[in-house]
Amino acid sequence: MSENGGLPLYPVTVVGSWPRPAYLLDALRKRQAGRLSFEEFNAVADRAVLEALRYQEEAGVDIVSDGEQRRDNFDSFVVEKLEGVELMSLAEIMDHVEDKASFDKILRSLDAPAFAIHNPTVTGKLRMRMPLALDEYRFLRKHTHKPIKVPLPGPYLLARSMWVKGVSDSAYPTQEDLALDLVEILRNELIALRDAGAEFVQFDEPVLTDVVFNAGVKERTFMCASMAASSGDPTKELIFATRLLNSVVEGVDGVKTGVHVCRGNWSRKDEVLLKGSYEPLVPTLMGMQIDQLVLECATPRAGELAVFEHYPRAKEIGLGVVNPRSDEIETTGHIIGKVNEALRYFAPEQIYLNPDCGFGTFAERPMNPAEVAGQKLRAIVKAAEQLRATVH
Amino acid sequence: MENQKTLINGLDIAATRAAIATVAAQPGAAHAPKASRIRWLSGLKFKAFVRNHSFLVDEPAHLAGEDESPNSMEYLLGAYGACLATGFVLNASQQGITIRNMEVSLESSQNNVFTFLGLESEGHPGFEEIRAKLYVQADADEDTIREIWDKTVNTSPVHNSLARNVSIKPELDIIP
Repeated sequence: MSENGGLPLYPVTVVGSWPRPAYLLDALRKRQAGRLSFEEFNAVADRAVLEALRYQEEAGVDIVSDGEQRRDNFDSFVVEKLEGVELMSLAEIMDHVEDKASFDKILRSLDAPAFAIHNPTVTGKLRMRMPLALDEYRFLRKHTHKPIKVPLPGPYLLARSMWVKGVSDSAYPTQEDLALDLVEILRNELIALRDAGAEFVQFDEPVLTDVVFNAGVKERTFMCASMAASSGDPTKELIFATRLLNSVVEGVDGVKTGVHVCRGNWSRKDEVLLKGSYEPLVPTLMGMQIDQLVLECATPRAGELAVFEHYPRAKEIGLGVVNPRSDEIETTGHIIGKVNEALRYFAPEQIYLNPDCGFGTFAERPMNPAEVAGQKLRAIVKAAEQLRATVH
Repeated sequence: MENQKTLINGLDIAATRAAIATVAAQPGAAHAPKASRIRWLSGLKFKAFVRNHSFLVDEPAHLAGEDESPNSMEYLLGAYGACLATGFVLNASQQGITIRNMEVSLESSQNNVFTFLGLESEGHPGFEEIRAKLYVQADADEDTIREIWDKTVNTSPVHNSLARNVSIKPELDIIP
């Protein structure tokens, strides 16, 4: 059996989020309503993190996360951590922006009221109030010996979603101005996590699929609630995204870095989600100076892995092998089939196995109960064990 | 020779006709889909959003509002009057008739507003009668003006919405 920094072959990991238990959702709502302090909420979240950890360890996962239990979703949690960012409802945002119609369009596609959708929005100069994820990592570190993956929102995602014309431009005249500060914040966080011993930091950039599959759309789109505004020029956006991520990770050794790009896994309705092969993104992904591409490959909407044929063995892949949004537990044969396909383009030691995405991208809308999520992880582990056994 | 705009009643008729033709060529344009979103502010005050516009809706002080804007029924009455006025200007302009002055005056009565206020249960709170009068000074004979007014009333979208049965589908979504 080959080993990979102490890990077995085909390490099994998660993308990040885990379904939140009811008591945690109750605490989250109270926190959002101002009826619970940050410390009180985290005391409740500690219990949920340990439960999420137990599911992962019992399933046999090799690299664990804290299930993002302290976060309401994958990017708006930064509101707690940064000064200059407010969680504004779309109702509040629509009062300030000229382009109200595009926000209305988003709400109609979601069938949701403006008061129920919130966006982390820059309202002033950014300053660190507390670390983004270092405390989360430190807590988990005390309770497991397993390697830990820490997901962070990517710089492009944050720049696009948090800069709202009519609200943010008094502090940052352009999105690019905001991006400079975001890069510094994320880079400092990456270094702090590395120094604290984190083994893997994953940057979430789901909006990249919005760039290529909604090309030419300048108005805000609801890609994973990021409310992202674009220039409408995919080439410009992809170059911008690459430059930002590379500025964050450049020269930072001693920690594995990854970028997670999916098509949205926040709804069970396929028709509201993006679909399409990674082909238009592959050159961009290869230009990112990160170790691993954490991708969704379990469902037909993701297209074929053959898109990597011109970049054989160039990077590691976090191969998405189970669908977090479906009821069925994937079979060992199905998962092994995916790995065998990946082996055409990646070396065995470059392949990590994970679900397509998190199981609870939004705290209030998990895609599956924890028991099903646990069974899906167990299915991946079982497939990995079988694959490892065939190597001898 | 350079083309000059033909303006009549402030409308560029050629451009108006071209815009109408463009819209007419779009699939589904006949149904003229519209959308609006109403947000509760506080008390009986609301903000309505339509495309990139917004406007307040409030109740008069004697009905427990802050009287910062018309209420819903007043907007509806105003909408009917504005729709008639719009149609008249469009129709007259397309016939080359200059309007020197015009105004639409409306009055309404409701069947029994107390059913809305929860005081009575007989009848309904909707409009029972609307009187709409056009005052106009225009460069055309009476028969022509009456003909344009009749056409305006018959083809007014708001008139047809009020005078015909509309399929209304209320839904409810309780947000946790």
